[in-house]
Amino acid sequence: MSALTLRGITKRYGAVVACEAVDLDVERGEIHGLLGENGAGKSTLMRILLGLETRDAGTILRDGRPVTAGSPREAVALGIGMVHQHFSLVEPLTVWENVILGDTGRIRRSRACAEIHEMSQRYGLPVDPLAVVASLSAGERQRVELIKCLRRDPAVLILDEPTSVLTRAESAELFAVLRRVVRSEGRAVVLISHKLTEITAATDRVTVLRRGRVVFRSATAATDVAELARQMVGREVADAAAIGLIPAAPHAPEKAQGDPALRIRGLTAPGLTGIDLEVRPGEIAGLYGAEGNGQAQLGDVLCGLVTPDAGTIEVGGIPVDLRRPGALHAAGLGIVPEDRHRAAVVPAMSVAANLTMKDLGTRVWLDRRRLRRRARELAAEFGVVAASLDAPLSSLSGGNQQRVVLARELSGDPRVLVLAQPTQGLDVGAAEDLHERLRRCAHDGMAVLLISTEIEEVLGLADRVLVIASGRVAGELRAAEATPEQLGMLVGGGAG
Amino acid sequence: MNLLDDLGTVLASGLRLTAPLAFAACGEYLAERAGTLNISVEAMMLGAAFSSVAVAGATGSVTTGLAAGMLTGALTGLIHGNLAHRLTIDTFVVGLVLNALVLGLTSFLIAGTTFGSRPPQRWPLLLLPGIVLLTWWLVERSRWGLELRAVGESPRAADMTGIRVGLRRRQALLWCGALAGLGGAYLAVGEVGSFNQNMTAGRGYLVIAAVIFGGWRLGRTLVGCAVFGLADALRLALPALGVTLNSQLLIAAPYLLALLAMLLFATRQRRPRALGKPFVRQEP
Repeated sequence: MSALTLRGITKRYGAVVACEAVDLDVERGEIHGLLGENGAGKSTLMRILLGLETRDAGTILRDGRPVTAGSPREAVALGIGMVHQHFSLVEPLTVWENVILGDTGRIRRSRACAEIHEMSQRYGLPVDPLAVVASLSAGERQRVELIKCLRRDPAVLILDEPTSVLTRAESAELFAVLRRVVRSEGRAVVLISHKLTEITAATDRVTVLRRGRVVFRSATAATDVAELARQMVGREVADAAAIGLIPAAPHAPEKAQGDPALRIRGLTAPGLTGIDLEVRPGEIAGLYGAEGNGQAQLGDVLCGLVTPDAGTIEVGGIPVDLRRPGALHAAGLGIVPEDRHRAAVVPAMSVAANLTMKDLGTRVWLDRRRLRRRARELAAEFGVVAASLDAPLSSLSGGNQQRVVLARELSGDPRVLVLAQPTQGLDVGAAEDLHERLRRCAHDGMAVLLISTEIEEVLGLADRVLVIASGRVAGELRAAEATPEQLGMLVGGGAG
Repeated sequence: MNLLDDLGTVLASGLRLTAPLAFAACGEYLAERAGTLNISVEAMMLGAAFSSVAVAGATGSVTTGLAAGMLTGALTGLIHGNLAHRLTIDTFVVGLVLNALVLGLTSFLIAGTTFGSRPPQRWPLLLLPGIVLLTWWLVERSRWGLELRAVGESPRAADMTGIRVGLRRRQALLWCGALAGLGGAYLAVGEVGSFNQNMTAGRGYLVIAAVIFGGWRLGRTLVGCAVFGLADALRLALPALGVTLNSQLLIAAPYLLALLAMLLFATRQRRPRALGKPFVRQEP
């Protein structure tokens, strides 16, 4: 009997189908990979399992008994536990307080600490129960999450994109723990991922979702990366980086020439220490590192959201006065920030308004006709698919929203283009499209800085790779010579 | 000798004027740790001051009056909690409405009634140490308090762990209302012995200022209350001591002090991260 069986799970949001008649069997003692590109319905399926979402149709069986979880707490009672990547630890609280959060009864600190200590030993997850979570690294936080989850003794353990914040070494450690959990304790693990290599390396069986439907099922050993890629996307994909694979042959480096278009010297801000980097016209420089090592802070500085404590930024050889809002933009720096909704768009405003936001002219009255024309041109040029230019931006898909941001930033003919995690949350087609545009920008002489946590993306696009760890630039390699192992070492070296 | 006497008088009166603030601050401190910023402390205190005098007058019992005050405060907290953390109306709007409502209502009711003045009853001061200790224990040591703090810092995390965010916040507001009510009731039946229109005169806002001044730590919050209380006592004592100062300036002193405290402390301190933000379960 399967630990977890899903039969005909269907969920629609209006006309949009998130899941369509999904069947899934997860056995005890196996790691089951759930593969699919962004928007394929993986997360919706898991939210239904956890009681965060209600299903329109279908049955869920736990050990053969039909169940329905109305809340995460009920899911725990049914033996379904989830390790969340974000938002599930309270940072100012200590490890032990976080672990016992959600229990009932009296608080017994020493007992909680002893319990955590015992679990640390059993699973090989070293962690200090008295440490404050805010002071822990991403890898340590993941251990706390795992302990918190395993302590409730779940029969089915779900992990949603668990490695995005981890270094390679930390990922390997995580998979070793999962192996132990299924082998010696007979639990079932569902590993949700869009990374092909992770699925082939860590799972026993794999189910592929595409547009809400199951399109492929196999034992992992009986399939390969190429087959899985084809099933996930539904066609052959030339751009390996877009499907999370390292390109077989690194592309020929573009000719970088002249003085740096972007030069950052000794940049220090909360979370950043003495960042030095240069990007020349015509090259793509990749800034690679595990999430949470200062990339977000660097992005904030380059957006002009944070004024650094020290250091200079030169665009085209001219120092920029960073205290002035919009100075970087005026100096010729375009940016596609990591969190679109926070720093790049106004979701409630129209597509047209978002497209022309940085190009309103200097007169008191807006030249509405010109702005409209400009918006129409940009939308056509960048292939923005929208019902209407007057529709609110929030009605667009993630890929199209990203196109709007890119179109606007490129419309000012910047010397320098900075992108932070530009393909996060995008489907493969949109990611391919974006990668192609970046290559063209560099080819046309723009200096491109690509900040990414995806090693495949960096190796697939960049001419030069800088590694960021703990808010410092830990090293630099030519992309043609860089290997994942080398990069992994630089990433881990900075953190440890 | 004379100076020492004067000092003693000012300190004693300072303590008595601190007490209403301190009672209410214990409540507001706990509520803010749960992430709910309620400016309706003013309404809770004022409503409680009125009802405590009315009930104490009718029954002749100070204890019943205090209980009535606490009940009135808790009722205000219940209304605030349901509006802000069940219907998710902006907490500041709710607070403003409640403050205006209670001020208007008590002014209207006092117009038709005459409360006799009763001798002040200062024994409820003795409740203060117990209440402070209980508040500290609840927040720092009890499971309820741990969940409150989680809700105040990271409501999403708390929600995923199975804690009912809105419920905890409504409970925190009940506690806050009861204690703010005790503070208001003490001011009326304990200290003054009668009710005047708008008799709290912004003390609720001083309580919020004290919590910010204290950097969301109980001990320092109480220090803040003492500073405001002493300033109030000095204001009353200075003319009697023969010091002539602009009387308007004197009346404004505690509030100016609060403003100064805000300027110095409001931006630097580590506030609960979800303070004042409503929690709504998000779509994916």
